[in-house]
Amino acid sequence: MKVLAIDSATPAASVALSDERRLVASTLRVDRRGHSAFMVSAIDFCFDQAGWVPEDLDAIVVDVGPGLYTGLRVGVATAQALAAAIGIPLVPAVSLDAIAYRAATGHRHIWSVVDVRRGEVAVAAYRPVPGGVVKDGPAQVVTPDVFRAMLESDPDDVLAVGDVQALPDGLLRGLHRVKVGRPRYPSADVLLEVAAGALDKGEYPHPDEIRPMYLREPDVTINWSTIRPESPWGAS
Amino acid sequence: MNPTILAFETSCDETAVAVVRGREILSSVLSSQVDLHARFGGVVPEVAARAHTESIRSLTHKALVEARVHPDDLDAVAATEGPGLVGALLVGHEFGKATAWARRLPFVGVDHMEGHLFSPILEHPDYAPPAVVVLVSGGHSQLVHVEEWGRYRVLGATIDDAAGEAFDKLARAMGLGYPGGPAIDEASEGGDPSTIRFPRALPDRRHDFSFSGLKTSVTTFIDKAKASGDLPPLADVAASVQEAIVDVIVDKTINAARDTGARIVGGGGGVLANRRLRARLAEACDAEGLRLVLPSPALCTDNAAMIGAAAVHWLEKGAITAWESTVDAGRRLG
Ligand SMILES: [Zn+2]
Repeated sequence: MKVLAIDSATPAASVALSDERRLVASTLRVDRRGHSAFMVSAIDFCFDQAGWVPEDLDAIVVDVGPGLYTGLRVGVATAQALAAAIGIPLVPAVSLDAIAYRAATGHRHIWSVVDVRRGEVAVAAYRPVPGGVVKDGPAQVVTPDVFRAMLESDPDDVLAVGDVQALPDGLLRGLHRVKVGRPRYPSADVLLEVAAGALDKGEYPHPDEIRPMYLREPDVTINWSTIRPESPWGAS
Repeated sequence: MNPTILAFETSCDETAVAVVRGREILSSVLSSQVDLHARFGGVVPEVAARAHTESIRSLTHKALVEARVHPDDLDAVAATEGPGLVGALLVGHEFGKATAWARRLPFVGVDHMEGHLFSPILEHPDYAPPAVVVLVSGGHSQLVHVEEWGRYRVLGATIDDAAGEAFDKLARAMGLGYPGGPAIDEASEGGDPSTIRFPRALPDRRHDFSFSGLKTSVTTFIDKAKASGDLPPLADVAASVQEAIVDVIVDKTINAARDTGARIVGGGGGVLANRRLRARLAEACDAEGLRLVLPSPALCTDNAAMIGAAAVHWLEKGAITAWESTVDAGRRLG
């Protein structure tokens, strides 16, 4: 089975190809300005490396977040377009899962962190199990202070992974049971492993269900004067 | 050469997909977000970007099915590159680029304003430059001299609000809802446009528009009339306000035609759906012996067919956009 994975949820964007679970090509770029210049050209590059053509693909895996909205939309739009144009299924993967999966070593309770800007982070907890990790609760968007309190009240030894550097300096100071680890960002090669189970079982959601995981309502300032202007002619 | 092109337009609040063959529309579908944004009283960029992401896949399917075009029969893919809202633009541009790559087709990034310049050709195949084109919408107000396809000179533009924005603000002053253009068009039904003569701005700048002063004078007029107890009927005030905006657009357009010697006047942008503006432009062009070529209202507002029409030109020139390209939210014509 030939699979393409796409990740643009964080400042790191990446593309990876696997054939029968074996990594065939991959490329990654860290760029804060956005990923639209990278994505299709990176896919083109990887296909060149692998000697594949688009119709060779059997499925696509895409990171749906949480992460930076614009990056997520670039990834999801690319994946949706490719899947529709080639006529193959799409599998969603979660950024926090990919980070925790790559970090899974030892016995520590894993907290995965993704920067979602505006002073907040998306976090989720995981337990390491043989061959991977198991999620220990839903992903949530919290302020750094709330995240610190969550770590403080965790009775286990903790490994904090992901974009811990996005937290304010010294936030984790004094938390003696917390160790900081890697990776900092999710990547497409790991998505291939995280999605392996779903790919094996052929668990493909309807493509319209594959949307960025925003975890936050859009910022909206309602212009009340335009919606309900006062009529000089009185109520009509 | 009549290439079959799949085109995307997502610069603002319409997700639009079309299939054109040459300059013939095979399908043109859209998912309007007007109601979505009306709840907030204006276009919310993040809401627009989310909505584009949710509808673009199924709209693409719909456009191909309605056109009865199999993806194998496509010759190119086009998408709006800018100007517009960056998060919104990215969705259509990325979707278009990836579709082109997967089908091994050339990709053409198109200027949104150039799309409007090409829009008259979709219903009038003999439409050709040189022409003066008036582009008026919620996001832009410009007069463009199209010397030939690909060579554009912006003669003038608004120095404050876009015409569509002016309609929104004036609708608010009159107690009408959002969006203002259709609201004023409707409210002015049966009204007498000569009831109040509101000032026409910038008479000495032949190709520039200004609408912000109008709002002040309308507000002042309404306040005074209300205080003195003889506020004219809403239809008369709305018709007079509309006339002030229409007058300015018509005058500057005719100025531009006279000054460039162009014998053809074209138009584009949502404000050109306004019935009074269309009628007055027709009268004025008639009086000057100019040929007026306006797209039907559905092609005045943002659509993807116009992006496809512009892409045909660039494809013929061999101007293919690289995979590394991205959007340009602040892009300018010319
Ligand atoms: Zn427009």
